[in-house]
Amino acid sequence: MNALKVPARTIAVFVLPCLLLYVCLVFVPIFFSMYNSTFDWNGIGVKKFVGLDNYVTLLTKDNVFWPAVRHTLMFAVFSMLEIPFALYLATLINRYVKKPNFFVTSYFVPVILSVVIIGQLWKTIYNPASLGGMLNQVLDGLGLHSWTHAWLSEPDYAMYALYFVALWQYLGYHLLIQFTGISNIPTEIYEAAKIDGADGFKADWFITFPLVVPIFKISIILAFIGSLQSFDMIMVMTGGGPAHSTDVIATHMYNMSFMSSKFGYGSSIAMVLVAVCLIATVIINALFNKVEKKIG
Amino acid sequence: MRTSFKWMSLAAAAALMVSLAACGNSDKDETTNTDNGSASTDKAENVTITFQNIYPDPNTPSYKIAHQIGDQYTKDHPNVKIEWDSLNTDQQKLKLKTQAASKEVPDITIVNPAAQMKDFVDAGLFAPLNDMLDQNGLKDTFQEGILDFYSFDNNVYALPDGNNVGVMFYNKKLFEQAGITATPTTFDELINDVKTLKAKGITPMVTGEKDTWTGSFLFMNVLLRTNNGPGFLSDVAAGTKTFNDPAFVEAVDSFEKLVQAGAFQDGATSMDYNAGESLFKTGKAAMYYMGTWATGAIDQSDVGADVGVFKFPTVNGKGNADEYMLAPGSAFAISANSKHLQETKDFLNYFMLQYPKVSFDMKNAVSVAQKVEGDFAAAGYSALQMEVAGLKGAVKGGDLSFDNTMNPATSQAHLTSIQNLFVQQVDPASVAKEHQSAFEANK
Repeated sequence: MNALKVPARTIAVFVLPCLLLYVCLVFVPIFFSMYNSTFDWNGIGVKKFVGLDNYVTLLTKDNVFWPAVRHTLMFAVFSMLEIPFALYLATLINRYVKKPNFFVTSYFVPVILSVVIIGQLWKTIYNPASLGGMLNQVLDGLGLHSWTHAWLSEPDYAMYALYFVALWQYLGYHLLIQFTGISNIPTEIYEAAKIDGADGFKADWFITFPLVVPIFKISIILAFIGSLQSFDMIMVMTGGGPAHSTDVIATHMYNMSFMSSKFGYGSSIAMVLVAVCLIATVIINALFNKVEKKIG
Repeated sequence: MRTSFKWMSLAAAAALMVSLAACGNSDKDETTNTDNGSASTDKAENVTITFQNIYPDPNTPSYKIAHQIGDQYTKDHPNVKIEWDSLNTDQQKLKLKTQAASKEVPDITIVNPAAQMKDFVDAGLFAPLNDMLDQNGLKDTFQEGILDFYSFDNNVYALPDGNNVGVMFYNKKLFEQAGITATPTTFDELINDVKTLKAKGITPMVTGEKDTWTGSFLFMNVLLRTNNGPGFLSDVAAGTKTFNDPAFVEAVDSFEKLVQAGAFQDGATSMDYNAGESLFKTGKAAMYYMGTWATGAIDQSDVGADVGVFKFPTVNGKGNADEYMLAPGSAFAISANSKHLQETKDFLNYFMLQYPKVSFDMKNAVSVAQKVEGDFAAAGYSALQMEVAGLKGAVKGGDLSFDNTMNPATSQAHLTSIQNLFVQQVDPASVAKEHQSAFEANK
């Protein structure tokens, strides 16, 4: 810092506005939620202090919470599994496509679409055949009638149907990140490797993959945190239903706070979500630091 | 040079902090008369009344009615300005809850009856309207008993825009196609009709079960029958019955029979209220159980001329078909902390006095909560509207919906439990148990 030769006070003044804004928008709400989570409160009337009762109920008695946690974590796992695929796709595009911008842009299109539009679009695709659902009609057309389902209404399939939409939407996003990472690797390295006889997949394995690890890490963290917070798409497509079978932590929190008027309880769910996000970020960071050290 | 720069940045930071602080205090006071010298003598103080409402769509009769009355009032009272805060129903609910948490309720807002407005009343957010109801004889314009749903401790806190009951709309053409000549009067006949329609490839019934209250509304009508009359939920609340009561179990069982007969469209639980209703309005389904508030929209749809209504049938020989699910409409409440409490009361008084007349002219008066003068038939109301008006004339009491009776947390448990019946078959006794434990946990 001192390389800039600016007194610490000036730095403080410049940092202050942003810091204030950040504190107001991030930490104040978190502490406010933490405070609220110790109350039995309907959001309007009198607050009744209950200590940690909300957490006890949440962790031991809530029939919806643990399945919601499972759905959320599965969501995270699926989105992370997608990233190696995005990376591989990015290497292929980088190697075989002469003007890759078009491809990358087209993969990116779903990302810029509003979630509500995507939700409606996929709802129509998943609809039963009698209501013009594309997927079911295609299955029917292929003579696979027994494979057709009311995808969003059958508890066994609804969650997977939602995962798939999220994967579809964010593939382009991660592809773009990985692609940028790969493009930044100097071509000299590949040329040198070619002379040494490393080509194709071998080059990917020994050069591309190790060098994009930092970018890969960013993608993984983004995917993980993003899926922990997944809310809007589920709200649009199923609203957590049928009968909680697609509830994730965030939709459960919303339903409890706003629909059931249990703000204190909702706040305690929010705190658990914050805690899970923080812990997960720390773990992922630690893991990748190890990996990077090993490679480096 | 450098010091002056430092000071400038400090000033900039300070300015930012001030503006941040100002954001928190959003209570803009544009209406206060700054000319305090003459404030007491000035007879026409400028007043802005914020009117939060659920009429965002200019094409609907409710929007036209509200705005016509409001415009007329501001013309007569040039010092009054009405600021319309128009939102759709769900947004308005959320916004009001957020505003209520910071005690900044708009001058006029919209609430649902009974249990759904109790929290607000308990928090002292609404002004009692008794004095205002006595002005200009407003109280007598309301139908008998309707204001009870909005009263707590003998104080009326909100004035309803409608009074609806749950009925079964049906498409006569599709019934004909399936060879059904008479509308069902028993639940078994209803299930038979469902099967007949289904065999002809017609979707028997639609519901937008993603919104969960839709299925519950129908289920509660079954319960109203199996309980042989109204009052089941109030008995449970009073502790004289539990959800394990045979009437409740029988209702779940009957409802499951309906679902298992394939009554509802595929994928009902992922379809919202509007999507469900539009299936019926486009002639893709034969029956639609809904509150009579849907009459206007159905009437104006493509199938309007083919649609009739019938009473919900008796179940296993129990219940009275003239008892209905009652749905007293959303209602206008006034903020207790309104800056212009008197002016707001005066305006709402005028608004409600005009409401039945203007609604009548707009052909939307069949479900108004007030007495309407005038001959519907002579005014050119459609056959469907007349049929609904006829049913409503013979209403002999009934029950409120679940979420209007029970507290929100119990209601949510109930709504999900009923939604679950649409996707899997559950032992009715366990559904009852689920209800009872949710009720006890949230007492």
